[in-house]
Amino acid sequence: MAEVNKLNGFLEKRFPKIALVVGIIGICGAIILGREDSTQFFYSYLVSYLFFLTISLGALFFVIIQHLTRAGWSVGLRRIPEHLMANLSLMAVLFIPILLGLHDLYHWSDTAEVLHDALLLKKAPFLNVPFFIVRAVLYFASWIWLARFFFKNSTDQDKSGDKGLTLSMQKVSAVAILIYALTQTFSAIDWIMSLTPHWFSTMIGVYIFAGGILTSICTISLIALLLRRFGYLRETINVEHYHDLGKLIFGFVIFWAYIGFSQYFLIWYANIPEETEWYLHHISGNWNTFAIFIIVFHFVVPFFLFASRHAKRNLKLHTGVVLLLITMHFFELYWVVMPNFSHHGIHVSSLDFLCFLGIFGIYTSVLFFRMGKFSLYPLKDPRLKESQDFINH
Amino acid sequence: MAISVIGEFKDPTELLKAAKQTRKAGYEAFDAHSPFPIHGMDDAMGLKGSILGWVVLCGGLTGCVAGFGLQAWVATEAYPLVISGKPLFSYQAFVPVTFEVTVLFSAFAAVFGMFGLNKLPQLYNRLFKHKSFSKKATSHGFFISIDSELSDDEVSIVEFLKSIGATNVSGVKE
Repeated sequence: MAEVNKLNGFLEKRFPKIALVVGIIGICGAIILGREDSTQFFYSYLVSYLFFLTISLGALFFVIIQHLTRAGWSVGLRRIPEHLMANLSLMAVLFIPILLGLHDLYHWSDTAEVLHDALLLKKAPFLNVPFFIVRAVLYFASWIWLARFFFKNSTDQDKSGDKGLTLSMQKVSAVAILIYALTQTFSAIDWIMSLTPHWFSTMIGVYIFAGGILTSICTISLIALLLRRFGYLRETINVEHYHDLGKLIFGFVIFWAYIGFSQYFLIWYANIPEETEWYLHHISGNWNTFAIFIIVFHFVVPFFLFASRHAKRNLKLHTGVVLLLITMHFFELYWVVMPNFSHHGIHVSSLDFLCFLGIFGIYTSVLFFRMGKFSLYPLKDPRLKESQDFINH
Repeated sequence: MAISVIGEFKDPTELLKAAKQTRKAGYEAFDAHSPFPIHGMDDAMGLKGSILGWVVLCGGLTGCVAGFGLQAWVATEAYPLVISGKPLFSYQAFVPVTFEVTVLFSAFAAVFGMFGLNKLPQLYNRLFKHKSFSKKATSHGFFISIDSELSDDEVSIVEFLKSIGATNVSGVKE
């Protein structure tokens, strides 16, 4: 099959540069404006940061699970999540501003305040700055190690065609999924749950995971559709693969709603002040309207749009649903993070846009720059043919 | 008197080809039989998409409304009880059961809808009278059967099936 396997032209040369310029403008603008209101800056930054981090983490999970289940159908499109997860090294660098803003974001980091707070004093052995940093280093070390391992083996196979690489990836994937589950959960506890340090929810980890994996699959689909528009991977990723991605998206839309509701439901039923506090903040003022908006457009609308087989196979509609869900993931994270800062309702700031633009630009630039250097699909994967011949019943 | 003429084919590829030819020859009341699903058979036979999805959607929505409605009615009208100080109409508490009933009704609609659309259960079918068919159809045989209301058609249909490469061709009557 004669399929172009290398990016060239606009997407390879100019696009990463344009994205980089956009990113630098965004970050610089955010830093200049953020000098006046550092707390707003760090909250805006955290939302956008988490948005891209969850996409990369979801992609890592996607790759691990493909190897763990020895999936054949996804081989042709696996390079896209591989590139997304390789961006985790970039996310480690972009984490530095959050470390600088610890005191603006996490009030448990203020030792004087902790001394007056019985609950925080109890939690201090876990929630203290040095241990927080150690954990962050540990998370990034394991993610980057896993991402590099799977990326390197997969791209090495492009050259050597060695089937042993597939086997070794399958072997590591079992351990990888365990490491992933632990680090993913604890990072959500550290970076999101501890924004409200009195509050606790045993579901926050899986809740953030659910949104992340959903958005990640949507992003895979979106990038594949973008490449398709430019004439790449038209045969390797065909309507059958979009159909399957659509099924996964549909499933994870339901999973996200299921997890989100379960978290709310248990807290609502038990009605314990330390737990209800969080929801009280997140539904006060027009945050309530915002929450309903998220339920409708993150669950109800995509559920009905994507229930049908025809919808998943109609690439225009597919693009629409995927874009909607990616946007809603940003809004969802905004709803999760922001009420800790603007307590009584939505307060849109120019920093929200600038931070997003900044990270978006840098993230996409690095992504496409790296994509230009490797084959667009695993050239010599032993299951490539199985993937290309795959047909849905 | 209605008859069916059955012809056997060697493998799935032959069956697929035969189904296309049968359709092209203008036969409408025909069916292809295989022990397993064959890719592209729907197109070859000119079958339209199943309406089962819509049946399931209706089942699911009915279940959703029924599950929620029942709980709302019981909690507010039939047996109003204050539970842990919450309002009688606590819709949050109704969600799990609503969800379960939705799934249950969807599953019922899917299973029984499938039975209905396939006209199952069917204890008798005249095709079973065909020797080769009754032996192999569920394990390793590939067949095409063409129905006709007029038993006079038998000869021409037999001729046709033989012409497209069928073996063991014979007609079965009611």
